[in-house]
Amino acid sequence: MENAQLIGLSRQIALKRQMNVVANNVANINTNGYKAQKLLFEEYIMPRAADKVFGAQDQPLSYTNAWATINDFSGGPISQTGNFLDVALQGDGFLAVQTPGGERYTRAGTLKIDNSGLLVDNSGNPVLSEGGQIRFAPTETDIRFNEDGSILTSEGNKGLLRIVEFEEPQILIREGSNLFSGGEPLAASNTKVVQGAIERSNVSGVIQIAEMIRVNRAYQSMAKMMERQDSMRSEAIGVLGNPSR
Amino acid sequence: MKALYTAASGMAAQERNVEVISNNIANMRTTGYKRQRAEFQDLIYQTVRRAGSLTSATGTQVPVGIEIGSGVKTASTARIMSQGSVEPTQKELDVAIRGEGLFVINLPDGRTGYTRDGAFERDNTGTLVTMDGYELQPGIVIPDTARSISISEDGMVEAFLGNDSTATQLGQIQLARFANKTGLESIGGNLFVETGASGNAQLGSPNSDSFGGVMQGYLELANVNAVTEIADLIAAQRAYEMNSRVVSGADEMMSSVSQLR
Repeated sequence: MENAQLIGLSRQIALKRQMNVVANNVANINTNGYKAQKLLFEEYIMPRAADKVFGAQDQPLSYTNAWATINDFSGGPISQTGNFLDVALQGDGFLAVQTPGGERYTRAGTLKIDNSGLLVDNSGNPVLSEGGQIRFAPTETDIRFNEDGSILTSEGNKGLLRIVEFEEPQILIREGSNLFSGGEPLAASNTKVVQGAIERSNVSGVIQIAEMIRVNRAYQSMAKMMERQDSMRSEAIGVLGNPSR
Repeated sequence: MKALYTAASGMAAQERNVEVISNNIANMRTTGYKRQRAEFQDLIYQTVRRAGSLTSATGTQVPVGIEIGSGVKTASTARIMSQGSVEPTQKELDVAIRGEGLFVINLPDGRTGYTRDGAFERDNTGTLVTMDGYELQPGIVIPDTARSISISEDGMVEAFLGNDSTATQLGQIQLARFANKTGLESIGGNLFVETGASGNAQLGSPNSDSFGGVMQGYLELANVNAVTEIADLIAAQRAYEMNSRVVSGADEMMSSVSQLR
């Protein structure tokens, strides 16, 4: 009889985890370049002490187990800002930035220029071009990012933004600060750069709230079920454990 | 219940977003004001199951791991230093910069301030000062007898003195630029001061070395666009609401646990 309770528990743990994922999506609903996450579950068949002798009686027990958070890499809405250092990517590519821990990838194109003229992301990590870091002289004006990622200024061509794509983007690891790491970067083939625009978070409020309600109700129904289990057991003890009846 | 704190971080971020937007709207008619934009980043992830870890002795791997985020943080409230529109004022000491550069102002505490607000006046000695009475650098003194003051596009201030039939040059307005002008610190009063992030000021004359030109008789309006601000405000407000729904959702889940017998 305890099995029902344990299975219920496995479901509750999974739902709680899912609630955390939903909460993180909603918290990042206004984070530029954020990609929504989804939690996937699997059926986990518990190994049981089965013997051929009792084979017929022993039912397999399936527990719930969270096995992956997959990333929804669909494009977020691109909104015009008119700020020349805002860069949105159209397509599957990522901008490459250099961090102390190595190369990282981001879709958040709110770029800045630091005090030495280096093109950096919002955390101050240098943005990479195919030839390394990108530095602008103080007198350079009219910085333009073209559709193919080439950078043009009043002083001419400054190289090509390093834009990478991944054959299997799901294996990318989230680092926080809008950065992803890992994977095997390939040169981008179908990504376009849009200057003066940013890609907003691709989280859909409606879907997340609906998901939250569903998680909530499922959680409550599990709690109810466990309650019933409990009363069933106490009844059983009451009835069976009373020798005078 | 992590969701509770995650949603709380979302509410805090959106609150900040509304603060920034309301300051933009409050300064919609402030001369030389540059709008700010709150930018957010996701927080670190808790890895429950790491992608790429082995699942068997034969070398099969976890294809996709479980990573659970912990919310959002405000990364910056960057200023958008784009050109504001210029408005004719008919006042001879109103100056707008068209293009790159900031006016250089001597602050009373000895520091140097920078501003895009070119509404200048003369003080009792005839020196060009800002609305707060701080001196414009380099000090340009306009004598009492000056008539028809003109400021050329390259910042040269000229006037006819007394009954002179030719104009006298009184000085040239200087402009400053920075490697990272969004790194300037705002100290209120339409003034910025230099920081480690902005780099040092590079001085120059208007209309030279990619500095912008100055326009006499014009003021630069705030670069705040009412429509985008209101749209951002609505988005921020709704996001705040949704985060508070998650807080109450997480609360409901917890209460269903605490009511278990």
